Amino acid sequence: MARLGVFVCHCGENIARRVDAKTVAEVARRLPGVAFSEDYPYFCSAPGQKKIRAAIQDQGLTGIVVAACSPHLHEPTFRGASSQAGLNPFLCEMANIREQCAWVHTDGASATEKACDIVATMVEKVKRGHPLRAIEVPVTKGALVIGGGVAGIRAALDIANAGYAVTLVERQPTLGGNMARLSETFPTLDCSQCILTPLMVEVSRHPNVELLTYAEVEDVGGYVGNFKVRIRKKPRYVREDLCTGCDDCVPVCPTTVPNEFDLNLSWRKAIYLPFPQAVPAVYTLDPASCVNANLESESGGYRVLACERCSLACGPDAIDFDMREEIVEREVGAIIVASGYELMRAEQATEYGYGSYPDVLDGLEFERLLSASGPTLGEVRRPSDGKVPKDVVFIQCVGSRDPKSGVPYCSRICCMYTAKHALLFKHKVPDGNAYVFYMDIRAAGKGYEEFVTRVMEEEHALYVRGRVSRVVQDDGKLRVFGMDTLSGRPVEVEADLVVLATAIVPCGNGELARKLRTPTDAYGFFQEAHPKLRPAETLTAGVFLAGSAQAPKDIPDTVSQASAAACKALEMLSRPALAREPTVARVDEATCTGCFDCERVCPYLAIERKEIRDRGGNLVRTVAQVNEAMCEGCGSCTAACRVRSMDVLGFDDEQVFAQLAALTPALTAAGAGTRG
Amino acid sequence: MVQLAESKEPRPRVPEKGWEPRIVALVCNWCTYAGADMAGTARRTYAPNVRIIRLLCTGRLDPLFVVKAFQQGADGVLASGCHPGDCHYVQGNLLARRRFTVFSTLMDFLGLDRRRLQFAWVSASEGVKWARVVDEMTQAVREAGPLATWAAPAATAPSPPLLDPGAEPRQAPSREESGRITAQLQETAANLLAEGKVSVVAGYASGSLPGQMVPAFVTAPEEASRLAWNERCANNLTVYLPELLRKKGTGKVGLVVKSCDARALLGLMRESQLDRADVVLLGVPCTGVWDGGRLALKCYGCSEEVSPLADLTITPEGARQGPLASARERVAVSDPRDAEIAALESLPPEARWDYWQRQFARCLRCYACKAVCPLCYCATCIAEKHRPQWIPAAFDGAGNTAWNIARAMHLAGRCVGCDECARVCPADIRLDLLNRRLALEIESRFGYRADADPSAPPPLTTFRPDDPDEFA
Repeated sequence: MARLGVFVCHCGENIARRVDAKTVAEVARRLPGVAFSEDYPYFCSAPGQKKIRAAIQDQGLTGIVVAACSPHLHEPTFRGASSQAGLNPFLCEMANIREQCAWVHTDGASATEKACDIVATMVEKVKRGHPLRAIEVPVTKGALVIGGGVAGIRAALDIANAGYAVTLVERQPTLGGNMARLSETFPTLDCSQCILTPLMVEVSRHPNVELLTYAEVEDVGGYVGNFKVRIRKKPRYVREDLCTGCDDCVPVCPTTVPNEFDLNLSWRKAIYLPFPQAVPAVYTLDPASCVNANLESESGGYRVLACERCSLACGPDAIDFDMREEIVEREVGAIIVASGYELMRAEQATEYGYGSYPDVLDGLEFERLLSASGPTLGEVRRPSDGKVPKDVVFIQCVGSRDPKSGVPYCSRICCMYTAKHALLFKHKVPDGNAYVFYMDIRAAGKGYEEFVTRVMEEEHALYVRGRVSRVVQDDGKLRVFGMDTLSGRPVEVEADLVVLATAIVPCGNGELARKLRTPTDAYGFFQEAHPKLRPAETLTAGVFLAGSAQAPKDIPDTVSQASAAACKALEMLSRPALAREPTVARVDEATCTGCFDCERVCPYLAIERKEIRDRGGNLVRTVAQVNEAMCEGCGSCTAACRVRSMDVLGFDDEQVFAQLAALTPALTAAGAGTRG
Repeated sequence: MVQLAESKEPRPRVPEKGWEPRIVALVCNWCTYAGADMAGTARRTYAPNVRIIRLLCTGRLDPLFVVKAFQQGADGVLASGCHPGDCHYVQGNLLARRRFTVFSTLMDFLGLDRRRLQFAWVSASEGVKWARVVDEMTQAVREAGPLATWAAPAATAPSPPLLDPGAEPRQAPSREESGRITAQLQETAANLLAEGKVSVVAGYASGSLPGQMVPAFVTAPEEASRLAWNERCANNLTVYLPELLRKKGTGKVGLVVKSCDARALLGLMRESQLDRADVVLLGVPCTGVWDGGRLALKCYGCSEEVSPLADLTITPEGARQGPLASARERVAVSDPRDAEIAALESLPPEARWDYWQRQFARCLRCYACKAVCPLCYCATCIAEKHRPQWIPAAFDGAGNTAWNIARAMHLAGRCVGCDECARVCPADIRLDLLNRRLALEIESRFGYRADADPSAPPPLTTFRPDDPDEFA
């Protein structure tokens, strides 16, 4: 027999001013199944909760409805009070008579009538509620970090330092990401590699970190707390445990190819180290450029060796042409995505001639020219003729803030790095001229505004507010046609070099997001769970975000977010088990027809197939089964189920039916499935 | 022209004194419910006529909730959730969007005043919009008046005369032609059974009434002489497949199929109900089905003499591999069902509502439609579910309306238009028009046909980000 309690809160004046709480309590008392009701000024207060607990115990209540504010506010409060009184918390529901009644209606009589209706629906819901228990999911005490840039490194270190195992996967042969390509970082002008390489070394040496470079995530199975990841380790053809980094293999290698680390502004050999401070300091033989043919047989590795010079030159005998691709499996509890960014292809901005004119560069390429370890050893030289440019034009917002290019957003870091580029150029070429064409200057970080002001006023970079319409190559010079909107006059600059601050776009084509079953936004960045309150999490339980994979950002914000993501992962890893909301879907196997429309609609891939066999082992039927650890309770499967085998606990069909039935003056008994 | 019996009792249009619209709102927890909370926090006042039922996601919303709400006396129903692309559960509202689109089409076709059924996207920050949506809907429903006709009293008006479908585009085959096919069919069936290639052949045989053809199941070669083929073989035999497959033992099931019948096989495959390899389709050349001396409406627009899914085609010269149409010229004209649909849609909504309520009023809930439909294979139908009883068991207006709406929605995107349901309905309810209307909507909106490749996902289990969306 149901013995329900209804508690109608006045919320001081908030509800009582409009809704007659006493009447609501009296009407509620007369509803079938309600054994007790009372009204009170503040049920969320300590004495208020005490009253509720006392009533539950003294009256032997089997469920309660608290008619008060929104459940989004105090459902946890009243569910907590219920638990303390020995009542299952899921047998406590709230009737929202404040935000959705007293606060929005002006007539007391209709507001009171509405409040009575709302209470009636929640009484019917609780009557058909079930004492649900939180689902406990065991957690594998380890994390996977995808991406070895500064975000991935920071997150891996934080988790490892907390005492948990981390597998750090990086697809390039070395850690470092885009930050390793930078010359100096704004606004401090720290040497980028100098501040990054200590972290790279620390993470590679950390006893709790397994570093897998030159490796990619192949697929991700399982669910939060119990991910099973397969990682494809690409063959280096160089033994990591034997290579001493002596560099003897490089001079003898006959093949020269463009160097991707230098963004194809310089050359490397087929066997190479991306940059001197690479971690791990192990050389890599690139099969695509090596002279040896037929590199990938069925079992991988070389077949015919046309050239063995590197192997012969290698003292420690570290070169192994028989190395093959290897798939390793790891089980982890949490995954952090730190896959970073790349620059939009600047050829898209056809008016600027990138790709046609060798002296038009993008931001990262110019960064390599500035870098002491770059193709020009830190001297700024034109790619076309190697001369030192005197007049350099920097064009901001190339692609960014432009819906037509598909990037309507601001890429956030370009104003700052352009200012930095202008400053560094002026330091290296003191008699040179730096022109910056801008729309706005976004310098919101700590010390950023001061830095830009310094670049304008002390380094004398000329900032022109306006856009550039065309860049035309003419007799060895680049003619830049722009506009100065502050004076209202067109501006033409004869430049030796043009640098485009191109838009920041996410790495990859969405394949990683698909493997992780987590959504991306309209631009391909990983979608955060909530843009304000949960920027380091995704809607996929157990998958967290760090760095520019989520949205363009600078290094301080990247490092902060990486630590935030690590913290979220540690929240999970530090508990013995994960408690998940029990409002999950459930199948009635007796009636399931095995059409699997539920499987098709589930966004979390939480529906599995279960075979029902007879005693002889013969397959009788295949039915759907819900993985409660992955199910988020959305109910899409339930609506898709024609035969109504599927249902969602806590918002089940009987409850919804009863709530709808309660919305008429006379409760219909037929078909309402009353349980007394 | 479609004729309607004159309505005898005038429906109340002037609201009774003191009547206020009752509106039920089915909203999602994360966006609209929070948006409604926000309206409260901002003290944005609005009409008190709405009662909110909270769901976790609009993806949970079944059209039967709306039916139940109207049944219970709601004058209007509003469904609202997160904006497409913002769903807390990634995609629930995108699925809901498709479901709402199809359901709106159905309710529109049934003649429900569109002011009474609204869909909106209200986000957690749109408290102002929530207040506006509620006020606008309340006003619209107030103008529409109380919904007094949801379950109209049973009427006994005869069904309106069929719209003249025009001259039959084809002739029935001659006795000799049918006889030749019959002979080849009998031989083929006997061979298949004798060679053990199939353990049963489902086909047609003469029934007990003159000219009647009924389903026949032949398990031994000597019984194959019972089988026959002619223009009166109306049944869609694919409905027997699940049971035949269960009982078949080790052999396959042979099935005599017309083009319209075989399409249902694709749906059964898509829904994991059978393995194509277990079925041998015996395609017969079909110029149409003559029921009671008249060509069935579905045949007018049909241009497939032999099912393209056939494994073997029975020709006058013998069985041939694969689908093999004869060289005979095939005339297909516009589908007369479409003209009837157009005629209904040209009526004002109240007249259309009246038409369908009178149709539903004749329903006996015999479930013959369910019995003949190959896609109604659920062992326990939703009509038999009693906890809760979404579809009232009584064959009154409420029950019949709920049943026919549920069936139409359950077949949306799955019905292949074999019209067996309409043929067998003892009350002559135009189920074919309901199913076809939704099939046409799904094809035009989502580019999907039920006879598509089985690996194509059913239209209501998938979505495109740019799906049509005319909601608030």
